[in-house]
Parts: sequence; C-alpha cells; structure tokens
Amino acid sequence: MILQATTLTDTIADVLGSLGLDAANPLVVLLAGLLAAALVATIVLLNAALAGPWAKRKITAAFTDRISVNRIGPMGIGTIVVDSVRLLSKELIIPEKADRPAYDLAPILLASSALLGFAVIPMGSGIQVADPEIGLAYVFAVASIASLGLLMAGYASNNKYSFLGGLRAVAQNLAYEIPLVLTGASVVIFAGSLRLSEIVAAQQGTFLSLGPVAIPNWFAFINPFAFALFMLANLAEVGRNPFDIPEAPTEIVAGYQTEYSSVYFVLFYLGEFIHIFLGGAIVATLFLGGPAGPLLPGIVWFLIKIWGVFLFTQWARSAVPRVRIDQLIEIGWKVMLVLALINLLLTAIIVGVVA
Amino acid sequence: MIGVLKGMATTMKHALDGKTFTVEYPETAPEVSPRFRGVHKYSQERCIWCRQCENVCPNDTIQIVMDDQRNGEQYNLHVGQCIYCRLCEEVCPTDAIVLTQNFEFVGDTKDDLAYDKEELKNVPWYKDIDPLESREPDRGSWIGEGEGEVDYQ
Amino acid sequence: MSLQERSPAEPDVGVTEDGLDYDELADLLGDHVLDREEHVNAEGFVIRPDEVEDVLSTLKERAGFDHLSAVTAQEYDDRYESIYHLKKYDDPTQELSVVVPTSSEEPVSQSGASVFDTADWHEREAYDLVGIEYDQHPDLRRILLPETWQGHPLSNEYNQTQPQVVTLREHANPLQEDKQSPQDPDTMFVNIGPHHPATHGVLHVKTVLDGEQIVDLDPDIGYLHRSEEQMCQQGTYRHQIMPYPDRWDYTPGGLLNEWAYARAAEDLADIDVPEYAQVLRTMSAELTRIAAHMLAVGTFGLDLYGDFTVIFMYAVRDREVVQNLLEDLTGQRLMFNYFRLGGVAWDLPEPRQEYLEKVREFTDELPERLEEYHDLITGNEIFQMRCIDTGVLPPEVAKSYGATGPVARGSGVDYDLRRDDPYGYYDELDWDVVTEDGMDNYARVLVRLQEVEESAKIIRQCLDLLEDWPEDDRTIQSNVPRTLRPDPDKEVYRAVEGAKGELGIYIRSDGTDKPARFKIRSPCFSNLQTLPVMSEGEYIPDMVASLGSLDIVLGEVDR
Repeated sequence: MILQATTLTDTIADVLGSLGLDAANPLVVLLAGLLAAALVATIVLLNAALAGPWAKRKITAAFTDRISVNRIGPMGIGTIVVDSVRLLSKELIIPEKADRPAYDLAPILLASSALLGFAVIPMGSGIQVADPEIGLAYVFAVASIASLGLLMAGYASNNKYSFLGGLRAVAQNLAYEIPLVLTGASVVIFAGSLRLSEIVAAQQGTFLSLGPVAIPNWFAFINPFAFALFMLANLAEVGRNPFDIPEAPTEIVAGYQTEYSSVYFVLFYLGEFIHIFLGGAIVATLFLGGPAGPLLPGIVWFLIKIWGVFLFTQWARSAVPRVRIDQLIEIGWKVMLVLALINLLLTAIIVGVVA
Repeated sequence: MIGVLKGMATTMKHALDGKTFTVEYPETAPEVSPRFRGVHKYSQERCIWCRQCENVCPNDTIQIVMDDQRNGEQYNLHVGQCIYCRLCEEVCPTDAIVLTQNFEFVGDTKDDLAYDKEELKNVPWYKDIDPLESREPDRGSWIGEGEGEVDYQ
Repeated sequence: MSLQERSPAEPDVGVTEDGLDYDELADLLGDHVLDREEHVNAEGFVIRPDEVEDVLSTLKERAGFDHLSAVTAQEYDDRYESIYHLKKYDDPTQELSVVVPTSSEEPVSQSGASVFDTADWHEREAYDLVGIEYDQHPDLRRILLPETWQGHPLSNEYNQTQPQVVTLREHANPLQEDKQSPQDPDTMFVNIGPHHPATHGVLHVKTVLDGEQIVDLDPDIGYLHRSEEQMCQQGTYRHQIMPYPDRWDYTPGGLLNEWAYARAAEDLADIDVPEYAQVLRTMSAELTRIAAHMLAVGTFGLDLYGDFTVIFMYAVRDREVVQNLLEDLTGQRLMFNYFRLGGVAWDLPEPRQEYLEKVREFTDELPERLEEYHDLITGNEIFQMRCIDTGVLPPEVAKSYGATGPVARGSGVDYDLRRDDPYGYYDELDWDVVTEDGMDNYARVLVRLQEVEESAKIIRQCLDLLEDWPEDDRTIQSNVPRTLRPDPDKEVYRAVEGAKGELGIYIRSDGTDKPARFKIRSPCFSNLQTLPVMSEGEYIPDMVASLGSLDIVLGEVDR
C-alpha cells in the first residue's frame, strides 16, 4: 500500500527529458521543481484572488439577504480585476518611526509562509511539488512562521493598536498550535507515516457500505471527534471568527494591519486567504481523503474540498461572535489541549488494540 | 454549543432561501410614498410674494429679493442647506412651492445647489408624480376654510 | 402612587395624598429657602450659592429626591442662575427645583457633585457654556468645547459673530506625558476614537491600560456639538423649533424627541391636544422606539460579532421596514417633523385601511423576527460568555448617576416615564414595563429586545383604536395661533421617555415668540457618565461592549 507517488517535479523533469535535456542532471531537476512550484503557486493564488474580492462578498451577502457585487463582468467577477488595480494603486504610506526592515518583511513573511506550505500537499492528478518523508511536520512548521510575521507587523508599526493586535495574535497562535499538532499527530498514528501521500493513500477504501452509498475510509468518518477539534483549532490558527480577535475591527481598528496600505495590505489580505486555503488543504488531506472522490479528476475534488472549508469559515464568521482574548486563551490551553491529548491517547489505544 | 449551532443554522437558512432585501438601483427605481419630501418645485404663476415661506424657514434657506415697488425679483432656495422640513409648503397659501418626491439631484459644488427661480421652476417630477394630487390637501388649520380645490398648473 | 416609604420607620417629608406639600418641604429646609418661585411643573426654592450641598443632601435623604434630572444654567441681565431639577425615581411626578442665583461679576456656586454624581458632568457643561464656576467640583474643566476655547457661548457677553479657530496644536492634552500615569509606569495610554469603528459616533475615550485591562477611563465628548440649544433659542416656538429635535437622537428616535419638545411647549403655553392626535402620536412614537432599539441591538451585535455579520444586517433590515411605514405616515425616513404644537401634522395616509393593514402585518411578523434575534444573540453561548457579568452597573450607582432608560431598567431600577408620569395615550393602553435584574450588558440587551415586543403591543392597540375612531371626531391639531407668545417669565421642565431614557426640556419664556433659554437634558449624556464605573478593571473588548450596550448617540450627548 505504501507507494511512492510521482511528484509534479518528476513529471516535469520527464517532460524536459523528452525535450532533450538530461533528466538526471540536478540543474534540470531544479528547473523542473521551479516550474512545478510556479504552477502550484498560480493555482493557489488564483483561488485566493477569487475568494478575496469576490467570493467572500458574495457569500456574506447571501447570508445577509443582499445582492453583492454584480456590476462588473458576469456575476461580478470583474470586481477582482478592479479591486486589485484599486488596491495596488493606492499610496504607500509608511509611518514615521516604523522599524523598517521588520515592517517591510512582515507581509511578505505572512504570504510566503502559506505558499511554502502548499509545496507538499497532494492535490490529486499528480500535482504535488515534493513529497518528503516528513511532509506533515514540514507543513505545520512552515505555517507557523506566520506568527512571526504577525508579531513583526504588530511591533514594527509604531502604533499601540498594532502592538496590541500583534501580541494577541501571538498568544492566540501559540495557544492553538499545540492542539492542532496533537490532533494531526493522532491522524499520523492511524496512517502510520508522516508522508502526506501515504496519509492520503491510507484513506482509500471503504469504511462502511450503507446500501448503494459507500462511505470511504476518510479519517473524518473514522474519528469525527478529531475532525471537529482540528476544524476548531484551524479556525483559531488562521484567525477567523470566533477567534479573530487579533484583527478585531471594532476594538483595535485593524490590529496588526492598521498601518499597512497598498501593496503591503494586499499581501496581508491575500495572505490571510491563502492561509485559510492552506488550512483547508491540510484538513482535506488529513481528514477528507485529499483528492479522492468519484468521477471527477482529483484536483477538482480537492478544490471542492478546500472551498468547502472556506465556506465553513465564512459561515462561522457571519454567525458567531468573537471570543475575548482571555477567554480564548483559556479555551485553548484548558479545553482544547486536554481534549486533544485525550483524543491522542484514545487513538493510540485503539490502534494498538485493533491493529 | 447548542446556541451557537442554532445561530449558525439560522444564518444558513437565510442564505439558502435566496430572498434579498436589497434591490438593484438604478434599474429598480424605489417606490416612495406620496408624502415623501424631496426637492422643491416653484411655480411663479401661483406665487403671490407674501414671504411667509421665507419667514417660517428654520435656517434661512429661502431668500427673496424684492425691488423698490415690492415686486418679487428673485426667489432663491439653497437645496443643499435645506433641511426638508416642509414648513414652507405648509405655510404657502397658494401651493406655489411644493416638495416633490424627487431625490435624484446632484451638483458639482455646493454653490451649484443654490437654486434660483429658473432652476426651481424646472425641477422634474419623480416618475411624473405631482405630489399635490397624491397628498390630500390638509391645510384646514392654516388657511382657515381651505375647502376649495386648488388647481395646480 | 403618592404615599411611599423609603424605610418603614421614616416616611419622606412632604409627601401627601395629593402630591407634594411644598410648605412642608420649605419648613424642612428652614432658613435655607430665601424665596419661592412658581414654575409650571413644580415650585422652585431659591437658596444661597454656598449652601447647595446642604440643601441637596437634606432633600435627598429626608425628602427622598434621589434623581437629579438636570442642572440648567442661564444668565439673566442681572444675575446667573443654576437650577437643579429634582425628582424621585419612585414617583417622577413629584418634582422640585432648587434655584441658585449667583452674581454677575463673580458667578461661583457650590457644586452638588458630592451629593449626586449626575451633577458632575452637568455642572461641567454649565461651566463650559454659561460660565458659572462650581466650587469643590472634583474636576471642573470644559466638556463640550475644546480646552482652549475662549469665552462662554451661552452667556450674554459672548460675541456671537467673532470666529474662533482652535488648532490641534493648542488643544492641550490633560495627560501631558502621554505615555504613563505617574503612579504606575507599567501602564499605557491609548486614545480610543474619535475615528473608530465602534465608538458609535465621534467619541474620544482616553484610556490608561495595564496590559489589556483598563485602569482609568475618561470620555471626551463634544466632537458633535452643534449648539442645538442656541439654535432652538433662535427659532419661533410655533414652527421653527420643531424640525430640530429629530436631530438630537437620530437613530431614529426622532418622534420621541419631538414629543419632548411638544410636551414642554404645550405645558408652557397651555395648549390641549385632541385625543385622536394623542393616539397618532403614541403609535408613531412607538414605531420610532422600535426602530431605535433595532439599531441599538444591531450595532451592539456589530461591536461583538465583527463587521459583515448578520446581526447588524438583520436589524437594519427590520428597521428599514419601520422606516418605510413612517415614510408613508410622515413623509421622511429619519427627520420626521411630524408633530406640531397642538397635535400632529397629518392624519393617516389614504386609503386608511391599507396603511393600517401594512402596520398590522409588520407587528404580526415581529415575534418571528425577534425569535431569530433570540436564536442568534441571546441564545448564543459565546455571546453569553462575553456579556454576562461584564459592564456591571449596580442599581444604586445607576440612580446616583442619573441613568435612565434601558440602562437603568437593565439594572433593576423600575423607572419609566410613560407609566410614572403619563402623557399621550399611554395610561389608557395595556402594556408592561420591562426590567431585568442582571445589571450587566446581557440584561440591557434583553431589556431592549423585550421592549420592542411591548412597543408592538402598544401599536396594535393603537391600530384598533384608530380603525374604530368615529369619522367626525378626527381632529389632528387643535387651534393654535400662528405666532405663539407665552406669558413672560414662565419656566417649565418636562420630560418624556425617549428611546435612550429620560429626555427632558427646560424652556423659559420672556414674552417673545422665541425661547429665552432652551435646555435639553439628554439621556445619553447622563448614561455615558457611567462608563468609567462600568469598565474599570475590565478588558478593552468589554469596554467596547459596555459602550455598545449603553447605546449612546453622539448627536444627543453633544447636542
């Protein structure tokens, strides 16, 4: 059952080989890797661009009985172009005593850490840039570089609101990182490996057959408790309701984003959406069988699943109030951590007994 | 947790039933009630220059200029400064100044919105509705025996 | 309603079966009373300016006057005067005015802030606008105008035509070293507002923070000061003042504000209002109350849930329905100008039955909509976690700060002017006053949601009445002369239950057709004073939530 999946890099290297280059040359492999990364990044950025200016508004409008963007282009899709031009053409205002290198690097850090995470996610149809042995640990590690970015943004802006927002962000990320990783670890115990392609492969096969409907072997069905915990911790990691206190607009204006304008703001905005999609991708890979699904090609199912998670975050955002920072930390350390440990223990026992 | 889930279910219900409360303006021009107070329209034929409107206006929006023989020369109304209280219309004994239902007026600068007599005469009706017919003349306490029909030109 | 006891042993002085016995009260105060005046709503006792504290504390403890409604300050030709309007929370029809004249050259009088906390901000405003200085006031500085303003606008020798420009550089910040308070170097000073998404207007709150907890809080108001009082003093009673009350509480509580002015002016000039007009007034005022509460709940949800969330949108959608109904009735959606002295401007729109059906439809759909709110807000555990036990305002503190309206009723103080000091058609209809004992933000939200139901009850009863009203009896306005000149030197202070609390108006006439002094007692002004008490020691999110639950409207606070 443990097969080495062909990564996109290999595919492109083969293509380049058929074009006459030496496929075993490490430089050619590097070129193939860069091409693969560009392709994956384009897919991700397209999704994020669609989600940010357009889908978010349409979805929130549906929840609030409104017609939202619908003027430019069919169903308002042209808004994406208009919005991008508008945001990028704004004046770049830099506060007087901002700590310059940190101020400039923070948005880049936020956006790029999410993109880095996408490097190892199996998206189906052979699209996966690399498949290292420690895939899952790599994803978690890279995604949490974002906390550093938030702290840099909050501190370097020379603004008390940003400062408060940055501190809140760090506290929140720390508190919810551990339940996230522990729940992920319980999945690893099921699958037996950290390699993401093997985790996906472990979810093939049928769990239950209820007549004509075959429920596949997805970890969401085997261990729904872990699924719920992971979704909740994921919401906290990306900073969405009910845990969006670092950028609570009605209290600290925009938190760590207060002093950013134009390009930097675009990077923060898109970076947040890329993080949501990364979280959705991790959820899909760990719990929803990755690109598995009948009929349609794997990449389409994968996109459907991460958009499903995105819809869920928008739904939670529309309907759930935000938790205060001390309550949030309390929930993180006292409730979620305990539940994650219990989950891990039970999983270990069950796997040890059954297998 | 139940409360949170109930709340989420309520919002999802709203999303799925597809009804919207907003309309697409300007394709759908909204219905306004007959009593809606919009821009003023002035009729020089009716006006008897009694200056009651100027007197009653709370913030001196109407300015009337008379010449030496006390003939009316200018009738200026700053629609940007006006608070649309309708007191001028209530006071006018001849329905010379009427608040139409038109709210779609623009100006480039504030001074553009200081309408003089000509501009006031040319204010268009909103959807061609003459408000005087749609509002019952309710002026008994003002003019006394206001029973007669006031035929507006 | 007249005989009451504060403690079983000792009844309040001056309370009799028929109302207040002013002679008994004058005997209680003995030598302090220099003279007695007759105002339209109550008697006034004139006292010396250095005995204010004694008199007020005697009246509070022995005679049971525990509600200082307003402090009116004005300047006559030969003297300055401050009037303390006293009432009782248990029975607001028992009123007493304490008049404190001071000399023109040296207007100093003793402060009443040690007896009533309400007087703190009211006296600051009197000092700011009129120029009377209050001795022993804890913190006498300007409140509505900038710190460096020269002169007192409502005093007689102020030059109205000379412009004054106060630049930002000169606007001195009282906390000079804006980083720390001197006692505790670990604190941080943050300005919340005036440009802020959650301060409900342009409100500037100077907070001193210790981490995320609030150590000290100082609201700085006056950014929306439009000198409404002066504008009303320059308009005639009969028409020109009436458009302005809409603009005090613009959320829209417009008709309730207009009613405050109409009530005060009608009492001043002895004008009767026909019964049909009373029913119309009641119905339209309750419609605005629903709209105002919807917006209050909506913006509170906005503070707590974040933007783009559903609470605000649903509340605004419901408010739009009410505004459509009011547009059919009055002609405007926010600035109604519907009341006139002596009645209302218009009868129900023709065809009557159609309009009555529309309003009935609205009140029938209301319980279902409120169910939705209860599902989304009050039943939500996270909301309960955020709101219960935050922003606690004990009833005694609420009373001493003069808090009224849903803020006081959420702390268990059973005070509602529609029932206790009836006007309009309220005493002939069947409805209840809603109080909750929670004292926290959650209780205030519950009070508002339940009050919407009560208003719907009142509207339904009014609709039935209007439908069956005989046709030849439908007078909407009594016969009032075109220029109204009340008798000179008459003073009246009347209050109604506005959307946010007790909205009171003091008018003094001097024989002309414009008021000589027009003072507005705004409920949000007194309610906002309780913010420091409510949020000390709590976190910033709780302070924002408390501010939202106080439901202030800066138009009313700053006038």
